Amino acid sequence: MLSRRFEIMIGLSVIAMSALTLFWLIPSYVALPQRPPLRALAPSFWPKIVSWTMFLCGVAMTLRAAMTDPPPDAIVDDQSLSSKELLRLAGLALILAVVYFTLPIFGMVWVCMVAFILMVMMTGRKYLLVGIVVGVMLPLALYFFFSKVAGVAIPQGQFVRLP
Amino acid sequence: MTFLESLSAGFVLVAQWQSLFFLALGVLIGVIAGAIPGMSATMAVALTLPFTFALQPIFGILLLLGVYKGGIFGGSIPAILIKTPGTPASSATVLDGYPLAEQGRAGEALSMALYASCLADFISNIALIIFAAWLASFALNFGPPEMFTLIFFSLTIIAGVSGDSLLKGIVAATLGLLLSTIGLDFIGGTERFTFGSVDMRGGLNFIAVLIGLFAIPEIISYIRHPGSRDHRVRTLGHSKLSWFDFKRCLKSILRGSAIGVFMGAIPGIGAAPSAFLSYSEARRASPNRKNFGKGELEGVAAAEAGNNGVAGATLIPLLSLGIPGDVITAIIIGAFMVHDLTPGPLLFQNNADIVYALFIGLIASSVLLLIIGSVAIRAFRYISDVPANLLFPGVLILCIFGVFAINNSIFDVAVMLVMGVVGYVMLLLRFPAAPFLIAFILGPMLENSFRQSMLMSRGELTIFFRGPITILFWCLAAASVALIIRSTVREARSKRQSAKAAKRATSDGLE
Repeated sequence: MLSRRFEIMIGLSVIAMSALTLFWLIPSYVALPQRPPLRALAPSFWPKIVSWTMFLCGVAMTLRAAMTDPPPDAIVDDQSLSSKELLRLAGLALILAVVYFTLPIFGMVWVCMVAFILMVMMTGRKYLLVGIVVGVMLPLALYFFFSKVAGVAIPQGQFVRLP
Repeated sequence: MTFLESLSAGFVLVAQWQSLFFLALGVLIGVIAGAIPGMSATMAVALTLPFTFALQPIFGILLLLGVYKGGIFGGSIPAILIKTPGTPASSATVLDGYPLAEQGRAGEALSMALYASCLADFISNIALIIFAAWLASFALNFGPPEMFTLIFFSLTIIAGVSGDSLLKGIVAATLGLLLSTIGLDFIGGTERFTFGSVDMRGGLNFIAVLIGLFAIPEIISYIRHPGSRDHRVRTLGHSKLSWFDFKRCLKSILRGSAIGVFMGAIPGIGAAPSAFLSYSEARRASPNRKNFGKGELEGVAAAEAGNNGVAGATLIPLLSLGIPGDVITAIIIGAFMVHDLTPGPLLFQNNADIVYALFIGLIASSVLLLIIGSVAIRAFRYISDVPANLLFPGVLILCIFGVFAINNSIFDVAVMLVMGVVGYVMLLLRFPAAPFLIAFILGPMLENSFRQSMLMSRGELTIFFRGPITILFWCLAAASVALIIRSTVREARSKRQSAKAAKRATSDGLE
């Protein structure tokens, strides 16, 4: 169970998100035809209905969290992050960002090999040797399956190309 | 095509060795994935989906159905041996399965779980064969207003039963509906939320969204708490399940199967509530009710029958109406879409051979599950020993290759990673992911049927009350909302009472 403060913040975030959609995203990023034959057929009609529903839910969540008794500390989940957890999550975020941006440059197979081995090292270096072997073999096996069996053009990168 | 012609055409499709091979492979993958703590049947089906692109439609769909069936049973193995349900639906199996394992009777519990699963699965498949075609022929009369009210009714159930908080379920569903509007508007062809990106014009890829939502959060959770997957495995023991014990539990298995079929046919309820209902009914009716929770074979049988009885029945709304009954069937819709098949009443008209091949394949899957499951029980020690620090990086690599393979698009990989972060935040904030995904799938159908109805009636809302079918669905939706509100109020009341009790206990402790 989350704390009351947390639940109120979630409710307010839902309100903010739906308001942002209603008053900025829909007017700016939903292109309207010159003359829609009916209001219900306009491309913005459905997103508006959904956003208003979300807005009302946000209001209800906030009110419910604010008006009911807060749960006792004994049953409230701890949402805090230790420095080690934070470091690991930041490491994962960095790996994923690097994977995404370097895929077209170095090729999917090589990038995935490095990502696999880095993740094994990040979680305690247990079975490191097996990890390195699997880290090399798995992307190669997947490459051969998808490129040779399924006919998918797996990105090869600009440096080392596979057959 | 007549019934017999369709049946024989289906039989010709299944009679190929590849059909049985992919079905058996699917069951094997499912059992292994279900048995690995940290993997789930949902994740296994999602990860297998990209491998079906290269296969013929029937082989691909049979592979996925095999994974589904195997995964549901596989979840019971860690539930009994290490007190960790492999799937949420196996939670009820833990109640009696683990105490039996502690008594050195894990072999008996696992055998009972296997036999109950296979029997319930078989009964569920028969129900699917009987009811799906009948429901599909009824649904052929549905026009856009009927489809709109039907999908609306399905969404009310799905948003309501998929989490602790009704409001959070609805918010998750609205988020899914909103994301489904990204891309070109299908009536006017104008852009919606594409932010000028060409990649966004086709909308977000459904498979990238679902893999991101269900696989990536597990990887992030593991990286955050790498030690959380350590566990202690109980041995199988030397005891064997006797015919007398099986016969004693048969009534509970049949009752559980019936409960599973009934609850599986209603979209959104899923296997976990069915397993718990079957378990509680068995406890209520059993002469050994005092043993329940302490290691009673009947408890394992009832939980597994309720759990597996859902498996075939969830395909009833999927195949006949095109509405996914749960998250796994929502993923299976992806396989149909990839192969240009649209589940729904027209599938029975246009692709009757595939439908009947699936029916025959499902029956065969029950037999294959019996064979593969009994081997998997003995091999569990090796399966569960897969180190988590190799498993989760492997899952990430599978996700990247699989998602890229859908459209040869790196943009889809980005969608998957972003949805993974969204899924993890939802997990932390206790938002259920299932209503999000199902609303994402049903969103375009809901909007399309709404706008088609508006076009037909020139803006008159009365079209949504035009006949007995629409009125029936409105009544069902109203009843479902009323029931959800009632159960939410009751739950909130019981939570308040337990919070008060905890508060009193804390203050007593301080004094």
